Amino acid sequence: MTPTLISHHTTTGVPLSWYLALSGVLFLLGLLGVLTRRNPLLLLLAVELMLNSANIALVGFSRYWNVSDGQIFALVVMVVAAAEVVIGLGLIVAVYRQRLALDVDALSRLKG
Amino acid sequence: MGERIFFAIAAFGAIASAVTVITVRNPFRAAVALIVALLSIAVVFLLQRAPFVAMIQVIVYAGAIVVLFLFVIAYLGDHPPTLGPDPLARYQVLAWLAIIGLGIEGFLALANSHLPGIDANPYEVSDIGSPTAIGNAFISTFSVAFEATSLVLLVAAIGAVLLARRAVLGERGR
Repeated sequence: MTPTLISHHTTTGVPLSWYLALSGVLFLLGLLGVLTRRNPLLLLLAVELMLNSANIALVGFSRYWNVSDGQIFALVVMVVAAAEVVIGLGLIVAVYRQRLALDVDALSRLKG
Repeated sequence: MGERIFFAIAAFGAIASAVTVITVRNPFRAAVALIVALLSIAVVFLLQRAPFVAMIQVIVYAGAIVVLFLFVIAYLGDHPPTLGPDPLARYQVLAWLAIIGLGIEGFLALANSHLPGIDANPYEVSDIGSPTAIGNAFISTFSVAFEATSLVLLVAAIGAVLLARRAVLGERGR
């Protein structure tokens, strides 16, 4: 199925560029959180923001091209986000139970 | 016009709560601010004619995932170990430079885009966001992706169980 603009009637609504701008701003805010926070819990929350901003852009393009593909992609991103949160929180709990400091800068060594 | 007003309110709510998420120190408050951000983004999804994605956003994201966050925050306790002064504080300027650079780059890309109708009123859409359309796409065009997501969830579940087992073994079964 090739993306085509089936309808050529425009409606009064929000242009695609507004959605992309919102998506970009949220992505940058999430990235700033990931780069500057030290608590791994807050780090994961910022990663969630980044994933959601990508979803806004995906669903926006889905509406622009009048196909469902972008929405399917957004749903798959949500599944990956859920898996990432489960593993991330499992790691945080494991670190906490070993009585290490919850600081991503302190957790810089890998050892099995 | 009405849609643009709704978009402005939702976008303001999303950006304001995103700023709260990345600035507030208390993880509990950050998680609650994230709920507000996710609900605002669900409103944006509704404006984009994606009611099913908006519904999943509220149920799975704002519901299940953030509740998991709140559960872990409650489990770890309200008092996180006090962190000393940030040893990497002098590198924060690099983070800001990266953000500003990326922001300028994104603005230029958006301003110089030649996609037809990117700044104009959107086209009418057919039925692309209903549960019927999404379900049909999942079982016909995207059946492989659908099966792959089940594999991803299975691997994540096994990984979580193994992590918990290692943590318990590390404390000699306490």
